[in-house]
Amino acid sequence: MDTFAQVVLDGLLTGMLYALVAAGLSLIWGVMDIIHFAHGEFLMVAMYLSFWLGFLAGVDPIVSWIASGVFLFLLGALAYRLVISRCIGKSAMPPLLATFGLSLFLKNLCMNRFSPNFRILQDTLLQGKTFMIGGVVVGLPQLATGIFSLVMLGALFYLIKKTRLGWAIQATAMDREAAELMGIHTDRIYLLVFGLGGACVGIAGGLMTSYLAVHPEVGSLFGLIAFLIVALGGFGSIHGALAAALIIGLVEALAGFYIAPVFKYVAVFAIYLVVVMVRPRGLFGW
Amino acid sequence: MKSRKLIAVFSVFVMALALWVPNAPAADKVLKIGVIFPLTGPVATAGQRCVAAVETAAEVINNAHPEFNVPLAAQEGILGGTKIQLVVADHQGKPDVGKSEAERLFNQEGVWAIIGSYNSAVTKPASAVAERMKRIFLSGCSSSAALTERGFNYFFRFAPTDKTESHEFVEYIQWLNQNQNAGIKTIGLIYENTEFGKHAADEGKAAAKDAGFEVVADVPFNPGATNLNSEVQTLKAKNPDAVFGACLGGDYTLWVRTMKQMNWLPKAALNYCTGYQDPKIAQQLGPDGDFFMGGTGYSPEIGAKYMPDVAAVEKIYSAKVGGVPFDSDAIQEAVALLVLAQAIEKAGALDVEKVAQILRSETFDSPLSLGGKVAFGPGGQNMKATSIITQLHGGKYMPVYPESYAEMAATVPMTPWDKR
Repeated sequence: MDTFAQVVLDGLLTGMLYALVAAGLSLIWGVMDIIHFAHGEFLMVAMYLSFWLGFLAGVDPIVSWIASGVFLFLLGALAYRLVISRCIGKSAMPPLLATFGLSLFLKNLCMNRFSPNFRILQDTLLQGKTFMIGGVVVGLPQLATGIFSLVMLGALFYLIKKTRLGWAIQATAMDREAAELMGIHTDRIYLLVFGLGGACVGIAGGLMTSYLAVHPEVGSLFGLIAFLIVALGGFGSIHGALAAALIIGLVEALAGFYIAPVFKYVAVFAIYLVVVMVRPRGLFGW
Repeated sequence: MKSRKLIAVFSVFVMALALWVPNAPAADKVLKIGVIFPLTGPVATAGQRCVAAVETAAEVINNAHPEFNVPLAAQEGILGGTKIQLVVADHQGKPDVGKSEAERLFNQEGVWAIIGSYNSAVTKPASAVAERMKRIFLSGCSSSAALTERGFNYFFRFAPTDKTESHEFVEYIQWLNQNQNAGIKTIGLIYENTEFGKHAADEGKAAAKDAGFEVVADVPFNPGATNLNSEVQTLKAKNPDAVFGACLGGDYTLWVRTMKQMNWLPKAALNYCTGYQDPKIAQQLGPDGDFFMGGTGYSPEIGAKYMPDVAAVEKIYSAKVGGVPFDSDAIQEAVALLVLAQAIEKAGALDVEKVAQILRSETFDSPLSLGGKVAFGPGGQNMKATSIITQLHGGKYMPVYPESYAEMAATVPMTPWDKR
C-alpha cells in the first residue's frame, strides 16, 4: 500500500511540474495558434539563469524563480517582437520554422557559451530534504515545485477567466478581427501572451534547478511532453493543462512501476494517440 | 567609379581566399586523421573531451617534447617530419550520422584512418565503413564487447569491454563477501536503453548468474528522462544487495539524487564507464557521490602512483577542457593516436596493410595506459587493457580492488544518506 501511495504521489508531483511547463505553451497555442517549438529551450534558459544566480551569487532557487520568471517573460516578449510577429497572419509554416530556428539558436548558444557540461547546484535550501507521511517519502524540492505550480496556475486561471485583460485574451483567441473592432490591441495581447508563456516556463525552470542537472539538452523531453499535455488538455485551456498533466504524471509513474520503467513514456504517448483519435480537440479545448 | 568597385570586389575576394587557405604545412607532409565523436547532443561533454584528448596526443606527436617520457614525443612528427592533422566530425550520438560522417571523412576529406566514436552504437556502423574500405578504425573507449567479436581486420579497441568489467565486478563482490563479510546475494541492474546500456546489462546479468548471484531487478530507462522515480522505486521495491549501473552524464546525477530522495541505497553500487567516471560530475555531486564504485582506467590519484608520465601530458589536455583532468574514457582516445603513430613509424610508410599488420602483431609502449603496454588480440581487442575498481571518497577515486592496487578497504555497505 505504501508503495502504491508513493508511486501515486510521485506521479502527482511530476504532473504538477509538467502542468506549469505546459500552461505557457497552452496559452500561446490556444491564443495565437502557433506551435512554439522553442518552449523546451526557454525552460533550459531559465534553468541556466537560476543555476548561475545560485552558483555565482548564492541565490537559492526558492528565490531565483522570480528572476527566471521575469527574464523569461522579457525573452518571450522579445522573441515575439523580433521573430514571431513577422510570421503572424501568414501560413502555418513560417511560425513553425521560426520557433524551430529559435530553439536551435538558443540550444547552440548555450552549448557555445556554457559548454555541454552538466551543472548541478549544491547545497540549495531544499536539496535532498525529505519527510515521511506514513511510509511515503515526500521530497521537499518536488513538493515545493508542485505547490508553486498550483499557485501559479491558479493565478493564471484567474487572470484569464476573471479579469478584463483575460477576457481580451480570450476574445483575441476566438476572433482576432472582431477583437480589434472592439478596440482590443491584439498585437499587444500577443506580445503579452508570449511573455506570459515564457514566464510560466521560466518559473518552472527556476524551481527545477534545485534537483535537476542543467545542460543544453535538458528542455527537449520536457518540451515534447508539454506538447502532449496541451493536445490532451485542449488548446488554450489552463485547467485542461493541469488535468492532462496530472493524468500524464500518473500514467508515467504507474506504468513505469507496474508495467516496466522503460514503458513509462510508451504509455504516455499511447494515451495521447487514443485521445487524438477519440477527441481531437482535447479534454477541455476551446 | 566602376574600376573602384571592381578593385573593392577583387580585394574582398582575395581576403576571403586568404582566410580560406588553411595554414597547415605542405600537403605531402601532412597525415589526415579523422576524429568522430558526439560534439552535440546528450553526451557532448564526453565527446568534446575525447576530441581534446586526441588533439593533445597530436600536439605531443607533432612538436618536440623531449621532457615527456612518451614514445615519439622527443621528435617532430612521424616518418621524418610528417605532421598529424585532425579532421573533426560530430556524429551527435546518432548511428546513421556516424556512418555517413565516416564515409565523408574517407571519401571527401581523404583521411587515412579514423578515431572514434565514444558511443558503441555509433562505433559499430562507422567502423563497418572503414572495414569495407580496408581502412584503419581505432576506438579508444567504446565498450561493447560485440565490437571486437565481429572478426574485423582493421578495427582496434583500447579500453576494457563491458564483459571484462562485468566479470571484474562479480569477482570483486565475491571477494567482498569473503573478506568484508558483505553478505551480497542479489544483484540489480539500472541502465540506459541503448546499445551500450543493454549490452553492459546483458554481460552483467550473465556474469552474475554464472557466479551464482540472483538477479532480482532489471531496470532499463530512456536516456535524458525527465525523472527516474519509477526506476528507483522499482529498485527500492526489489531491494537488491548490489546494483550495476550504466547511466551516462545527467542521468547518473538524476539516479543518485533520486535514490537520495527515496532514501534508499544498495550495499554496493558499481558503475560501468559512465557518469561515475566524469570528475566534474563527481565534484558537483559532492558528498552525495561518495561511496559509489566503478571501473576506472585513469584518475589523477591512480596516475600519480602508477602512471607518472601522464601528468606532463595532462597539462596540455587540461588547458583545453577548462582545467578538468583526463578521465578513463578520454585518455584512451589519446592512447589510440599515440599507438597508431608508433605503428606508422614502425612500418616506415603510409601502407595500411603493413600498419594494420604491425598493430595486430606487436606490443606497444603506452605510458598513458594503466599497465603501460598495448597489444591487440583477435578481433582487435587490446589484451593489455586494465581497469581497477575505485570508490569515491570526498570526490577522489580511491582504488579498492584488485588487492595489488587497493589503497583502502571499500566502505561496504555504503553509508546511508542520513549519516553523511
